[in-house]
Amino acid sequence: MDNKITQKTESEKNKKVGIVSCSGEDLPEGSISRLATLEVLLKRKPFDTTTICLPLYIAGGEGDRMFAKNYPTITVDGCEKLCAKKATEKFSGKVTHSINVKDFLKEGEEPVNRCNLNDMEKEIAGRVADEIEKNVDRILNEGQD
Amino acid sequence: MSRDKKVIVIPCSGIGKPIGTVSRETTYETIENLAKGKAETVCLALLVSGDKDTIKKVKDNYVITLDGCARRCAQKNVEQYGKTPDKSHMILKFAAANPDKKPRGLIDIGNSGRVLVNTIADTVAKDVEDLIENKKDAEKKNNH
Repeated sequence: MDNKITQKTESEKNKKVGIVSCSGEDLPEGSISRLATLEVLLKRKPFDTTTICLPLYIAGGEGDRMFAKNYPTITVDGCEKLCAKKATEKFSGKVTHSINVKDFLKEGEEPVNRCNLNDMEKEIAGRVADEIEKNVDRILNEGQD
Repeated sequence: MSRDKKVIVIPCSGIGKPIGTVSRETTYETIENLAKGKAETVCLALLVSGDKDTIKKVKDNYVITLDGCARRCAQKNVEQYGKTPDKSHMILKFAAANPDKKPRGLIDIGNSGRVLVNTIADTVAKDVEDLIENKKDAEKKNNH
């Protein structure tokens, strides 16, 4: 009996989605980006996701720069400069989906803390994590945009 | 002019390790509390992506890098623009020297991790003082 249809290939079994956060040290939205990324990596999708430190594109080796070629990748940026997206596309490969924290701020919301995030800032991170998680599921189920 | 210079403290992004969070929180403790007004930070990702304003800021000021692991991302990303950091710290060395002060996790480093942050930040804040005062003195001497 040919059971190829029901069996997952090795690459499908091992398929993970890469999430690359901007470092964003200088702005509150960078810390929100980091928190949202860690929320998905550690709590929501620990077996379906992986990450890389963005500066390793420069400081690391060829293997590090293969990241976006090895994994469908979601970038999470804290501002319109989109460092994570631009650096990933420059050094590693095309990103599958790009998220900007600024797009998830409601009217009147203005993050101010770079550390010790307040409840409002954590709530924004939760919203961004929702968006990351939604796209991880979509990519795992459907493929790229 | 030396008196206008600040110290730019740059942590590694360190998203995969608790020690990366220690690096980041040490930066904030230094620039927002211990050396407020004398030190600030820039996004390391802006250096990675080649942002011109950030490169100029790094070149025109003193720089301290804080790296969480031996891959030294912060230091190397500064060096790629021809700038040698005035001080480079390896956070892992502080952690090894203080085995009772361990960060608990990546998101929340816990009380023990915060004690480690305060210990490292004391050192970094002294570096900030030294850089501003000593380099100012050295430049004054050179100008006379």
